Amino acid sequence: MIPLASVPPSTQAIEPPSVVVSNLRRAYGDRVIIRNLNLRIERGEFVALLGESGCGKTTLLRALAGLDPIQGGRISAPRRPAVVFQEHRLLPWDTLECNVSLGLKTPNARERAAAALGEVGLGERLHDWPRNLSGGQAQRVALARALVQEPELLLLDEPFAALDALTRIRMHDLVRELVDKRRPGVLLVTHDVDEAIALADRILVMRHGAIAFEHRTNAAHSASISRADLLAELGVLSHAAA
Amino acid sequence: MKEFSLLMTASNKDQLVLSNFEQIASVSDFDRTGNADTPSSQRGPAPLLGKRGLLLLSWLAPVTLVIVWELLAGAGWIAPQILPAPSKVVHTAIKLVTTGTLLNDLGVSLLRAIAGFVIGASIGSALGILVGFSRIAEAAIDRSIQMIRAIPFLAALPLVIVWLGVGEAQKIFLVALGVTFPIYINTTLGIRQVDPKLIELGRIQGLGPFELIRRIILPGALPSILTGVRYALATAWLALVVAETIGAQSGIGFLAMDAREFLRTDVIVLTIVIYALIGIAADAIARFLERRLLAWHPNYGASR
Repeated sequence: MIPLASVPPSTQAIEPPSVVVSNLRRAYGDRVIIRNLNLRIERGEFVALLGESGCGKTTLLRALAGLDPIQGGRISAPRRPAVVFQEHRLLPWDTLECNVSLGLKTPNARERAAAALGEVGLGERLHDWPRNLSGGQAQRVALARALVQEPELLLLDEPFAALDALTRIRMHDLVRELVDKRRPGVLLVTHDVDEAIALADRILVMRHGAIAFEHRTNAAHSASISRADLLAELGVLSHAAA
Repeated sequence: MKEFSLLMTASNKDQLVLSNFEQIASVSDFDRTGNADTPSSQRGPAPLLGKRGLLLLSWLAPVTLVIVWELLAGAGWIAPQILPAPSKVVHTAIKLVTTGTLLNDLGVSLLRAIAGFVIGASIGSALGILVGFSRIAEAAIDRSIQMIRAIPFLAALPLVIVWLGVGEAQKIFLVALGVTFPIYINTTLGIRQVDPKLIELGRIQGLGPFELIRRIILPGALPSILTGVRYALATAWLALVVAETIGAQSGIGFLAMDAREFLRTDVIVLTIVIYALIGIAADAIARFLERRLLAWHPNYGASR
């Protein structure tokens, strides 16, 4: 039914997918950003979406998040997805605990927020203000705020782009660990080829509003992809690798 | 009036610049020593005057002025009808307090100010919220409000007297009129300036419209609203001085005009000092509110 997502039978049998996108169309007036896009992300599957600036990858993420209206096709997700943006978007007037529990409607929201902050290593700072955090810490809180909602789909919009290299590597490990534990489907929009290789089960390259290339990194039958191949897909000729 | 508001703007700007400067200073401090708790005495090269020295210096001029004034008045170089000695003013203050008239007049004045402020702030914030949230409301009423705002509100005084006479209503109305606009403008501005990215986040976290306003829009608008409150307190006080100067039977302004009839400059100076003190108190209240409500804000927060 959906050609781009051939799924390993084991996971398919157990759980419904995190999201299924069919024939999606996004346009601003006459300008078509996304045309006929199909995508399926399974629970626990980590998908990285690469692409040049302006190829429509953030537009796709925003459509999946329900932030923008779509002009055609269908997005079916069981529940509202959680999003982590490039900026942390913490409310400066709320403590970390209140930030993480924002929008959480369960009666034990505070305890869950505290537990989620503990998971990202900031359990000691429940009552601190966001302004006292470093960039990496703020992004960890944003991650906790997304995961505390127990989303079935987690959307990451270049969440590590503004972090320094060391912090980024630590964040990669943390995200991978938390995703493995909670098993949401993940769509990571990124510019960083190495990040995509390090984190994703599946790498998609988007071009002119459609998915132009797909690669599974963890499947046994597929050979591991080189950085240069991916860069070539992105229109960058890497002389060093050649 | 115009001059006054210009002055207000200038002094407010100074404070803003000052607080930014302090912040920068404390940041560089942090960088150098790696310890945020470094006492300020260790900052930079050895200063000519310590912190206490500077504090003493800042009090030197006003204290000297009062002493010179006292000496000149005591020596009879300044006629008491022109300017009474500071000690005489203090004496008069004590006398008026003990007879109860001063506290009574002060109470009357404060009550007028509070009543006018509450009415003006309610109208200003209600209109501000309406216009801040609704483009339709903005189109419908913002232009009219801006036109009325262009009138220096004290210029409307003769008309207000024709409408309401010189009783309590006129005084409260004038205060309310002066308070409404700064509150209105800053409320609207505050709501409009809330980061749209945070509102978007609120939607993603599943907040309904009411929760969105309570958790994101109003807290985001609060710094601006409190700036409006601070301006409004100053305006309220100015409006009261003017309103009480005309046809009052009680209040601080009445005390001053009554004293003028008898050339009691000591009482007049006393009322001026009282107006100043209450102005300072009002500003202190506004600052306290900022400190408490904006503890999260890098420019206001008490715990830096």
